[in-house]
Amino acid sequence: MSDTLRILENEVQIAALAFMAVVYTVRLAWLFRFRMGRERTFPAGREAAGAGYSLMNIAMPGAMESTRKRPGFYAQFVVFHLGVAAAIAGTFIIPYAPALFEVRPVMRAFQAVIAAAFFVGLSRLVRRLGNPVLREVSSPDDYFSLILLMLWFAAAALAVPNRPDKGEWPLILYFGLTAFFLVYVPFSKICHYLYYPFTRYYLGRALGHRGALPPKGKTGAAAGRPGESRA
Amino acid sequence: MRWRKKGPSGVVSAPLDTRTQDKARADGLASVRENRLRTYEPGGNVSRFLDLLEKRISRSLAVSMTACVHCGLCAESCHYFLARPDDPTMTPVWKADQIRKIFKRHVDWTGRIVPWWIKAGSLRGDEDLNRLKNIVFGSCSACRRCTYNCPMGVDTGLLVRFTRGLLTELGIVPEGVFNVSRDQWETGNQMAVSEKDYLETLEWMRDEVRTELGDDSVDIPVDRAGADILYTINPREIKFDPRSIAHAAKIFHVVGASWTLPKWGWDQTNFGLFSGDDRLGAFVARNVYEAAERLGVKRIVISECGHGYRSTRWEGYTWAGYDQRLPTESVVVTLKRYLEAGRIEVDPARNADPVTFHDSCNIARSGDLVEEPREVLGRVCSDFREMHPNRRENFCCTGGGGLLSMAEYRPLRLEAAKTKAEQLRATGAKLVCTMCHNCIDGLNDVIKHYKLPMRVVQVLELVSNALVLPGAKAK
Repeated sequence: MSDTLRILENEVQIAALAFMAVVYTVRLAWLFRFRMGRERTFPAGREAAGAGYSLMNIAMPGAMESTRKRPGFYAQFVVFHLGVAAAIAGTFIIPYAPALFEVRPVMRAFQAVIAAAFFVGLSRLVRRLGNPVLREVSSPDDYFSLILLMLWFAAAALAVPNRPDKGEWPLILYFGLTAFFLVYVPFSKICHYLYYPFTRYYLGRALGHRGALPPKGKTGAAAGRPGESRA
Repeated sequence: MRWRKKGPSGVVSAPLDTRTQDKARADGLASVRENRLRTYEPGGNVSRFLDLLEKRISRSLAVSMTACVHCGLCAESCHYFLARPDDPTMTPVWKADQIRKIFKRHVDWTGRIVPWWIKAGSLRGDEDLNRLKNIVFGSCSACRRCTYNCPMGVDTGLLVRFTRGLLTELGIVPEGVFNVSRDQWETGNQMAVSEKDYLETLEWMRDEVRTELGDDSVDIPVDRAGADILYTINPREIKFDPRSIAHAAKIFHVVGASWTLPKWGWDQTNFGLFSGDDRLGAFVARNVYEAAERLGVKRIVISECGHGYRSTRWEGYTWAGYDQRLPTESVVVTLKRYLEAGRIEVDPARNADPVTFHDSCNIARSGDLVEEPREVLGRVCSDFREMHPNRRENFCCTGGGGLLSMAEYRPLRLEAAKTKAEQLRATGAKLVCTMCHNCIDGLNDVIKHYKLPMRVVQVLELVSNALVLPGAKAK
């Protein structure tokens, strides 16, 4: 392994991670600068239950009409984010637990998930370009982030075999892109995961207090068919 | 998403009409003089807007400003977009982006340095503010259906209300919004009902119920100290549909309830919810809460009104900075309690026509009442049919968000009502029941426009129809 790759896998990653942590800390401090109102009403439900339900929404495709009606879209979401998780895990496994990728089925599983995520990213890019709504609202950052992620998936899929002896460039590309991501992400749409717990928590807490979440009644098909009489 | 051939597109371009604002200023109305009701002044509005934006934004709004990933999943949850599926400007994400881009340009980080990179943008002048007015007032009923369908939990309904509030501070509002706000500031109720009309209508309804029941002891008490229930109503009931007061009076009489209406603070509706004006919201809500304290009642009961329920039961306490001290409930909950306790007897055969139920957005999505009206209807109707989708997934009546008061957006509203009309038609019901006066007018518009063979009723009316009077069974 060359010194360049060794430094890229270790010192550069740690420095980039530290930078991201600092920016996120400042970001959260910025967020907490905004005031939060105090609830003054008698509760009709439980805030904790509402917040919990809202936070777990991510794992409940049936909870929202938008995902219930589009199981394929939800499946893509799962694959894409599993790919992200696998690619992130790879950046730690390669320098700190390389033996794991020597187990061929494990390495192949990582490759498969990351490759699947790449193709989901591709379909998302096609959708973003082809759908007039998404085209209208998309910013350069939306396209750049998606393309960059696809590039990263491709690099990760090639890098996880971790064979610098057969050529270092996939690993250099993978770790180089990872370092770039760690610096770029806090300023891009990709940092939505930082906000997700907050949006869902505040929404869930407010609606939980009112008894609107978790839903008490039936939803979707269970809520009856049009014109169906209860008589 | 399905894409169809090009149809009409774009937000309504209604100019800012300030004639009634000018008149209010010329008339020296107290609310204008005391700067409670803001009127439009040309110049300096963009900087005031930006100041207010930064000053007023809460943390939950800030995260809704930053968390959107532009996935577009919200599009098909919006009845405007469903009616115009080839028009991106009808999607919640686009509408919310119009305020989000200003936030990103002036408050957030990246947008300050490289605005083009994240499509952040600023306002050039009052024309842009007027365009924003047409978006947040004209093409969104703030029903929050998209909020429930956003994977990220972005509350677009709240963002729209927030933006409306900023524009209201500048007087950049549709004329109808200004007029109703003016009436509520000036008279304490949004239809400018005078005290004389109010009291005379109550007396009239009392006499109607006395005649119907043949019982002179029936009363509609006003300002009775120490009553158990403070009953608050919608001014529409006084002005256009007082029978709902008679239905309530009849039921309260049969159960022997101790109840009263207040002489002041009887309007449970609150235009502050629609205009985004928290100060108006606080003023109106406080009127109700203080009436309850003044009369020493044990409970506030809100007649059937969606936004009135949301405002009085939930938002009003926050706007008014008033800690809730009394149970505050919808009359439908009161009715449910009476039915469960056997305090009223009903015969569902008296409501034999097929009935469906329309969930009010403000009650089902921003409140807690979903099963309660169904439990009541299940007891008083013999043929109840669900609308689909229903409960928290129901579509807006299309008159929500104060849109009924904004004539300039009516054609778009009725076009967007296509989904609602299809939903209603599919039930095959002859009656559509709703626990909201606003929805009555919204649904009536839809029924008339789309020629649907049905009429709108309320829960109180159906319970009153089904009511078996004490002694009537024995006869």
